[in-house]
Amino acid sequence: MKKWICVICGHIYDEAVGMPESGIPAGTRFDSLPADWTCPECGSPKSAFEPMAE
Amino acid sequence: MTATSPAPATAGRVEIDARVFNPYSKDFIRNPDPVWQTLMRDYPVAWHKDLQMWIVSSHELCDRLLKDNRFTPNFRAWEFAPPPKAEADKNDFDRAFEKGFFAVSPAEHLRLRKLTMPAFSRPVMGKIDEKIRDLVTECFDAIGEAAEFDVYSALAVKIPARSIARMVGVPIDMEDFFHEFAVDVIKSTRINLPAKEREASMQATLPGFKYFRDRIAERRARPHPGDDFLGSLVGAVDASNEGDARLDDYEILSVIFALITAGSDTATDLHTYLLYALLSNPDQFALLKRKPELMENAIVECLRWGSFGKMPFFRFASEDIEFAGQTIRKGQAIGVNVQAAWHDPAKWDDPTRLDIARRLDGNIVFGAGAHFCIGTYLVRVQGRLMLTEFMRRFPDADLANGTGDLDYEWTHHNARRINRLKVRTNLKARRRAA
Repeated sequence: MKKWICVICGHIYDEAVGMPESGIPAGTRFDSLPADWTCPECGSPKSAFEPMAE
Repeated sequence: MTATSPAPATAGRVEIDARVFNPYSKDFIRNPDPVWQTLMRDYPVAWHKDLQMWIVSSHELCDRLLKDNRFTPNFRAWEFAPPPKAEADKNDFDRAFEKGFFAVSPAEHLRLRKLTMPAFSRPVMGKIDEKIRDLVTECFDAIGEAAEFDVYSALAVKIPARSIARMVGVPIDMEDFFHEFAVDVIKSTRINLPAKEREASMQATLPGFKYFRDRIAERRARPHPGDDFLGSLVGAVDASNEGDARLDDYEILSVIFALITAGSDTATDLHTYLLYALLSNPDQFALLKRKPELMENAIVECLRWGSFGKMPFFRFASEDIEFAGQTIRKGQAIGVNVQAAWHDPAKWDDPTRLDIARRLDGNIVFGAGAHFCIGTYLVRVQGRLMLTEFMRRFPDADLANGTGDLDYEWTHHNARRINRLKVRTNLKARRRAA
């Protein structure tokens, strides 16, 4: 399970946690999110996310 | 209300003028909501004949426009922008601007954001948090146990630019110099100011740019540039980009430029409007004291509620664009009226009610899309530290004379700036009660 960070606003998508309040269950891989999924904080596309170094 | 021109310049174009929206009028500055509601209801997209720009006002349209990269924040794309200078005539301001977030292509913008990300990482920000905490404490120590104080002069003027100064490593004895630099940087890019005033402000920024170039050179000369904000920018490497793996001097200057435009002058209003919002809604102030875990949400909600901007955000059409039934021509300016959008009843239930527990999903308080506010973290840290300290020292505070003797800086170029907000600390009454 990885974490991904939006390079525009710093929002973190944690695969282990998902976003249950938005219908994305815990354990959902970033790659499995829909292609038109956008950052919930700033609305940037998936391409604005980078794997996060812990 | 119908279009105000009997013969529109462009067939089918919805037009308004200063009779519908005059951001400089005192009535608007005091009470903008009726104007915003008219704009959103009757003119969600309209050409403003006096301001010579489009005004886009609803939440849905502002959100859509901010996420559409055909609308650029690059002032050079404006039809009335001064002509490009010859390479030999460019100064540090021009070069930093050209390399900056507001001027580069979307792909280059993403590269810049990736390279600057480490400077905004948790360890770097943790150090900044400590420095700003000291600054906030110093401001409250200066207030001491006064029965009454003015939020604007005691807090709002002092905290924002100095916070950025500390973030970028400016020594304390040069903070006034930095503050002047910050104001001039902002005024240099405001298209609502006369060209001469913009030029004078731009010339006045040059000593500030020289100062930071020297600091960058010092860092580059060290074996390790340092772990602070400036050092993180100097040392940043994008391993996936072999050709352009590091930030050059002007790119680093452009980050400082962006921080200033996003987070110094505008954050002055953060402090006044946070306290104005909470103290004029005592039930919400009481709720925050009971539930400090609402702090993050409360800060965003107070900004939404206060909606302190006067002029909209600027964007410029990089091509002819059909937008919401109107044709926006290449080079035309667009005022993205997010201040109105923050009060859009189509997005927010009872938008003029302050509710610090409100769900704020999808808000555009810090913008949206590729140019989402880079100073967000700093703004939230400043707001949290200030409010926490205020509640700790003055838990029974209220507005002096019920209104705070509120006054505005009517001629401010950008904001509905509150420049007087008096607060009663009620410390004596508290002691008596104890």
